[in-house]
Amino acid sequence: MAKAGRPAATDDGVRRPWGAILAFLLPALTVYMALTAYPAFRTLWNSFHVVLPRRETFVGLDNFVELAQDDIFWHAVRNTFVWAAASPLIEVTIATLLALALYAKVPGARFFRVAWFTPVLMSYVVVGILWMWIYNYDWGPINATLRALGLDGLARPWLGDPDTALPALILVTSWMWVGFNMVVMLAALHSLPREVIEAAELDNCGWGGKLVFIILPLVRPTLLNLVVLSFIGKMKIFDLVWITTKGNPLWSTETVSTYVYKRAFEWSTFDLGYPSTIAIVWFVIVMIAVLALTRAFRVRDKLEY
Amino acid sequence: MRVATQSIVMAILCAYTMFAAGPFVWAAMLSLRTTSEIHLDHFALPDPMHWDKYPDAWFNSNYSIYFMNSLQVVVGAVILVTLIGAMAAHCLARYRFRLNRIIYFVLFSTIIFPPQVTIISLFQILVGYGLYNSKLGLMLVYVAIQLPLTVYILESFFARIPADLFDAARMDGYSDWAIFWRVALPVAMPAVTTTVILNFILLWNEFLFAVVLITDEANRTLPLGIQRFIGDTQEDIGMIATGLMIAIIPVIVVYAFFSEKLIQGMTAGAVK
Amino acid sequence: MAVVTLNGLTKRYDRAHPAAAEDVDLEVADGEFMVLLGPSGCGKTTTLRMIAGLESITSGTLSIDGRVVNDVPARDRDIAMVFQSYALYPHMSVRDNMAFGLRRRQMPRAEIEQRVRDAAEILGLSTLMDRKPHALSGGQRQRVALGRAIVRDPKVFLFDEPLSNLDAALRVSTRSEIAALHRRLQATMIYVTHDQVEAMTLGSRICIMNAGRIAQVGRPMDVYRMPADTFVAGFLGNPPMNLIPATVTDAPGGRELRFGPNRVEVPAARTAPLEAGSAVTLGLRPEHLAPALDASDSAALWGEVVTVEPLGAETLVRVHLPEIADPVIVRAPGESEVAIGDRIGIRLDPSAAHVFHADGHSMTAAHHQARRG
Repeated sequence: MAKAGRPAATDDGVRRPWGAILAFLLPALTVYMALTAYPAFRTLWNSFHVVLPRRETFVGLDNFVELAQDDIFWHAVRNTFVWAAASPLIEVTIATLLALALYAKVPGARFFRVAWFTPVLMSYVVVGILWMWIYNYDWGPINATLRALGLDGLARPWLGDPDTALPALILVTSWMWVGFNMVVMLAALHSLPREVIEAAELDNCGWGGKLVFIILPLVRPTLLNLVVLSFIGKMKIFDLVWITTKGNPLWSTETVSTYVYKRAFEWSTFDLGYPSTIAIVWFVIVMIAVLALTRAFRVRDKLEY
Repeated sequence: MRVATQSIVMAILCAYTMFAAGPFVWAAMLSLRTTSEIHLDHFALPDPMHWDKYPDAWFNSNYSIYFMNSLQVVVGAVILVTLIGAMAAHCLARYRFRLNRIIYFVLFSTIIFPPQVTIISLFQILVGYGLYNSKLGLMLVYVAIQLPLTVYILESFFARIPADLFDAARMDGYSDWAIFWRVALPVAMPAVTTTVILNFILLWNEFLFAVVLITDEANRTLPLGIQRFIGDTQEDIGMIATGLMIAIIPVIVVYAFFSEKLIQGMTAGAVK
Repeated sequence: MAVVTLNGLTKRYDRAHPAAAEDVDLEVADGEFMVLLGPSGCGKTTTLRMIAGLESITSGTLSIDGRVVNDVPARDRDIAMVFQSYALYPHMSVRDNMAFGLRRRQMPRAEIEQRVRDAAEILGLSTLMDRKPHALSGGQRQRVALGRAIVRDPKVFLFDEPLSNLDAALRVSTRSEIAALHRRLQATMIYVTHDQVEAMTLGSRICIMNAGRIAQVGRPMDVYRMPADTFVAGFLGNPPMNLIPATVTDAPGGRELRFGPNRVEVPAARTAPLEAGSAVTLGLRPEHLAPALDASDSAALWGEVVTVEPLGAETLVRVHLPEIADPVIVRAPGESEVAIGDRIGIRLDPSAAHVFHADGHSMTAAHHQARRG
């Protein structure tokens, strides 16, 4: 993702105006140090302590040992990974199909684009409440439709059933994010060189052929970027769960984020050390996962040349 | 055959549009109906339209407070993060010095950080400085969490401004500081607008940091207010829907005016 | 109005690479139009940017009117510069673009307006004052860039390849406008270009640079007539001077050169006696060569025609001479009827020949100097 190494603008050789450089960077660095770097290190420090109000005790690796045996944590990790694995596939696939439809200039493309993009503009709080209603057992539109179709047996409390709660929430995030992914894909499609596609047409390539041999390989970098972005987003997921299920029922929708919050601010243990440990371990897991993901994509990139 | 496929495609697209926009339309309808009307039929059209529910929610359910709190915190944070981020981005794009790419990478890489890494200690730190449960504290945290994305988007734009322009301004007698304000920033206005809109919407919808750092009724932002409201009045669906619409409307207004800019901002970096 | 003196000016970006400009000594007189000419990468732009204050000076001194300005920031040097890309501020109108540099100087509003109006008048921009740069043509942008420099009324004007982004026709007309501007303002101007036509037509003097160093400084025709070395000889002139490797024979006088089967006696006016057997380069401008009229001309050099380029008024003929690697270029009359593959004789004018030492420097120029001095 990061593109380091692009040289900065000219100025080479002019005596560097350190005063100006410092003045420009100082506010950003101060904010970064005070509200990102320092808290991150403090969390690391916390993770080796029991942190009670006004009393902090060093406990070494105790928190980590406890975490290793914490079934709820591992359950939350599993849920989060299921989410982070399923979402990119669903979102990017649907988004690509929709983007291709708009790229093919169906009538009303502008309207579709605007309509599909709107869900991502709403906060998870709003979305969560809306979908709690949609999933409502007694009068939610889903069960209402099922009953109207005579499928009463399929109606269920979608968010109250441990088997359906997590898939139901995954559907909500997909509903939110497909539009965003579609817009990005569409932008990528429109930035494709026209000549290449026209050349393919001259080579007697049909729509399917163009798609498989020309378009998808060309937008592959964008596709992979979207997969990574969606993955990262789901690894952080908190708001939606917190509004709708708070991790219930039976931990079936517990994510690492909600678990950290519960341990830090909901459970009456008052200890900030253990949740910090979770945060640190989770941070390491996320970093490894993201690196592995980008690495896997990069290796495949190289094979193509 | 061709017509048949086209109709099927259109049918699918329309069905998807129902799915994507339906919940929003439904919420808008609910917001104009009373809860007792809703209990009779959850999917009826609003008739008559109860516009008075909006002032009711605004004045009697503290939505005016939540809304103004959100506005203060978000507008303040957006102004600060835009200025601070633009200064840093300009500096990283324009001057070549040894730490340049390292600083850029460190700033940028925090985009991946799970928020839990900072949120517990931010709670401790803000408590320590008496900024816990204050709008100022939340605003500063918002500046910090949006800073990486802001710098990322602006840096790539500033880097495309030809260096000759800055040389010309130097020849015209301007200092580094004046060049930033009078040349770089105005020239980068399109990108600055993009980040302003993007940050506005992301922060307007922010929930996690708000729920951790704010507890006082008087300081709640909109997402917190709505959450509290559903806790208090779980059954008053009509009023909740009105509250949801109050939270959505500013975003929809911004989207209506700046949809292209917003899409640019949200897709920045995703297209390679 | 100012004298600009460069004394051993050197720019080195890092130790690993050769200097971008090395030991540049140059004095630009008050009101002079000095052209820095050379191929890309020769150090001319680096030199100009050091004068402007946009690059720091590694060593040597730069003075304006006798005052060393090495450490004076660009904004306090009272120099204006016209950039290759024009570098107009895209968010400002033409008027604001020109006034921008004056506003910083706390000049009274009325005077700023007066100056901007005058400059716009000179450049024919008066009707475009409220336009933004994107609404201007390339030529108009170029004028705004000039105007931005003029309103400043600076001590020194610098131009960095200002015409290279214009189309051919506009380039010719803008060139004469810049010349007119110089006559009108009588200001010191330093102008960087790689285009020798611009250099020849605009420069009071030209300074040819090569690989970071000055190769030669002088009035355009002097440099053309007496190039100081093979680089200048090959760079200035279109088509360039023919440079033919030759050996000094042991004929008495030490002025007979042999290349392949041909022998040429260089007149005493063109070189001091040469050491027999030494390798030299014989330089002959294409206009000093002509196809032999008489097919049996024994003084002619005989060779085979490789290419023929009819240009209308003249025809350029490249002829391969025996044992010489590069074909020589002959400027023949427009109506010459030569065809590729023909064997033709070339008459040369020895009194216009140049002789260069093996290290490249011109023995003709040195001889000329010695005889005059």
